[in-house]
Amino acid sequence: MSAALTSAEAKAASKEKPALAVHKYSLSYRTEAGLIAALRNIDLTIAKGETVGLVGESGSGKSSMAWSIMRYLPPNAVEQGGAIRLAGEEILDYTPHEMATIRGSRVPMVFQDPSTSLNPTIRLGEQIAEVLIRHRGLTKAEAYAEAEAALARTGITHPKEMLQRYPHEASGGEKQRVVIATAFACEPELIIFDEPTTALDILTARQILDLFTRLREETNVSALYISHDLGLVSRVVDRVAVIHKGVIVENGSVDEVFRHPKADYTRQLIGAVPDPERWIGVEAPAVPQTLIRLTNAGVHYGGPSLLQRIFQPEEAGKVGFWGARNVSLDIRKGELLGVVGESGSGKSTIAKVLAGLQDFEGTLEVDGRTIGSRKAIDRAYRRRVQIVFQHPDASLNPRQKIGTIIGRPLKLYQIVPRRQVKIRVGQLLEMVRLPAAYAKRYPHQLSGGEKQRVAIARAFAAEPELVICDEVTAALDVSVQAAVAELLVKLQRDTGTACLFITHDLNLIRQLAHRIAVMRHGVLVDFFDRRDARADDRNPYTKALLDAVPVQSSSAAA
Amino acid sequence: MSRGYLIRRLLAIILVLAIVTLAVFAITTILPGNAAIMILGEYATPDAVAALERQLHLDQPWYMQYLSWVAGILHGDFGTSLRLSQPVTQVVGEAFLNSAMLALTALAAVIIVAIPLGVLAALKRGTVIDLAIGLFSYLGTALPEFVTATLLLVFLAAPNVGPFPAGGFVAPWEDLAGFAAHVILPAATLGLILLAHVSRQVRSEMSEVLASDYVRAARLKGLSERRVIWRHTLPNSLAPAVAVISLDIGYLLGGIIVVEEIFAWPGLGRVLMYALENRDLPVIQAVTLLLAAIYALSNLVSDIIIAKLDPRVRYA
Repeated sequence: MSAALTSAEAKAASKEKPALAVHKYSLSYRTEAGLIAALRNIDLTIAKGETVGLVGESGSGKSSMAWSIMRYLPPNAVEQGGAIRLAGEEILDYTPHEMATIRGSRVPMVFQDPSTSLNPTIRLGEQIAEVLIRHRGLTKAEAYAEAEAALARTGITHPKEMLQRYPHEASGGEKQRVVIATAFACEPELIIFDEPTTALDILTARQILDLFTRLREETNVSALYISHDLGLVSRVVDRVAVIHKGVIVENGSVDEVFRHPKADYTRQLIGAVPDPERWIGVEAPAVPQTLIRLTNAGVHYGGPSLLQRIFQPEEAGKVGFWGARNVSLDIRKGELLGVVGESGSGKSTIAKVLAGLQDFEGTLEVDGRTIGSRKAIDRAYRRRVQIVFQHPDASLNPRQKIGTIIGRPLKLYQIVPRRQVKIRVGQLLEMVRLPAAYAKRYPHQLSGGEKQRVAIARAFAAEPELVICDEVTAALDVSVQAAVAELLVKLQRDTGTACLFITHDLNLIRQLAHRIAVMRHGVLVDFFDRRDARADDRNPYTKALLDAVPVQSSSAAA
Repeated sequence: MSRGYLIRRLLAIILVLAIVTLAVFAITTILPGNAAIMILGEYATPDAVAALERQLHLDQPWYMQYLSWVAGILHGDFGTSLRLSQPVTQVVGEAFLNSAMLALTALAAVIIVAIPLGVLAALKRGTVIDLAIGLFSYLGTALPEFVTATLLLVFLAAPNVGPFPAGGFVAPWEDLAGFAAHVILPAATLGLILLAHVSRQVRSEMSEVLASDYVRAARLKGLSERRVIWRHTLPNSLAPAVAVISLDIGYLLGGIIVVEEIFAWPGLGRVLMYALENRDLPVIQAVTLLLAAIYALSNLVSDIIIAKLDPRVRYA
């Protein structure tokens, strides 16, 4: 409804010059391989008070567009004609000095990760005030008073206190509010949002989106909202432009684009967005059999050091925190168990316990055998439980060839005779839908999705009974993410391996998992069958999480 | 930084110094040669030697010698120099003051010159200026101090050529200009060697910070280039340089021995050389202990400065 309001206003203001008009703009980067086109013939208009989403996957050129508008291009950028007009003024002609007066005042920017875009050694107050001093010529005292008011508008309860804090003393949501307060501080005309919620937790992201919607209504500012997440974008923008390989392939209202996508690429993107109503998982075995049972598992991080125990024994007990506490859950043979939670909820801690990478309290039962500590975990168990990590770049040794990487578990656990390792590596690669010839390549020669397939192949090489997937799709583009999820399902179907799938993406997990465990602050707060996700007796936290996630395609189009 | 942390650090320093006293004492005791014979000469009568041994407590078991030595230190009494017949505190104290003036001048010069050079190199990264700064700094490090000192002497202090005296010392409270003239060459010799350490460290850290998200964000907030560099970039680039400077103090303590010898600077280095040549054990022990204490304390100071520079560093 807010969208309708702003677009009506936009129509009323249509005689005014648009806040941003990009016309036939092209940009290339000079590289050793010659000129590489990043943006081609871009046409993009944002009316006053309008919010336009620019959606694309990594490498699509969406960030280049932002840098072009901000006139913040790397030295190897070559602009090849076109126009970028801000309220009718051609900013391509502006000197760097003129541009500096526009940045942060008329065109501020909100970045992806507030924990890296705020200076860690400067108090939050100064980081807001400096913009007011610079652009509005306020005195220090005036600027701090104004900063306090700006923070209050973003819903921070004790703004005065917040001004005195350093970034590491504020939560992710508070930090992003500071960045947003800064962006709104100098009566902006156009705000550029660069994936402003990607680095935040589900509930926080939801609050930030609501905040943005409210501030936009209050100030009637225009905005360019850059994101890879079509589902999310559809909730906050009036119009959406889909960019693919530097070309805008689709441009229209949110409704139009979702209901009648014109470009194949848009259709592909829409299809890849996880839809909780579309089940793609395997059928679980009819008779549930327990594979592994975790009872009262707990992990305590950051115990007191030796010196502390000697010199401050009274304080040693207060040190550290519980990464997980009293977690009991069972994993059944052949099922896919989803574990969801925000960052710091303890979901990865549980993964590490199960993989034998973390000291723990409580017990672990496998095949009637009870394991009481990490040291009691033997090699046979390690073979049966494999793990795939979030970042394949970090989990694949960059100096080893793919063949060596996948061959390692084969040799370690003597899965196949030595001379058949090569053949088996080829089979495993084909199993994850990669050419067998990739065995001769190095990780850096593969794309992100391909690398994650290699990591998955390595896990399945040990012929495990449980594969733990710790946010394996989080670092991937939407379309790649869908393909990796489908691959996992196929492997489960072929091998009957159980899977513990850790994620923060509720829509995705509802497509895949048989049962879902919800964790918060190290405690298991909810554990339910997928069919009961919307049951009335769900834990309130689970309900809040489910409500915070935008569900689009079938439902959003309605 | 909690008080508990400081107390623990100071306790650790005391522990280190205790170990140093043991090591120093052990080495000087193991050294061949009898101190009494050394003092009295080879032809001393056995009676005279025995008498002196009693006077120096050399007739007692080693642990008694050690304990009485440590007890003396705790009372500020490092014993008496065997050769100079003066209290060690007096001999070492004056020399220490002179050395400290030289070392601090060198350190201040390094900080004043190397940090701006590092900043400049980072801002002009990949240009001729960066290359020139790099070459100059590495040259300073590559040349040993006696070569640097000789070059400086030839070009700046040779008779009828240079404006500076070739050696010697004038106390600043007697003649400040004279002190300055005398301190420049030895301080420059020490400083040139440290220049590269600090300027390279500032350059590499600064380059990294310049490429950080928050500096980009500062630029995109439209802040002036001056503010981006001096407020957002430089303070965050200094911590590694501070750590290097504190390690360099260890070098300064060693380098000063050679430099003081070349420039006839009456400091700790010269006292140590003299004491070593003459087996003046109480002096050797006191100087070694002093150097260890300075090193340990400078490490603590650098950790405190680093915590001040970066609020995320919290020692608990």
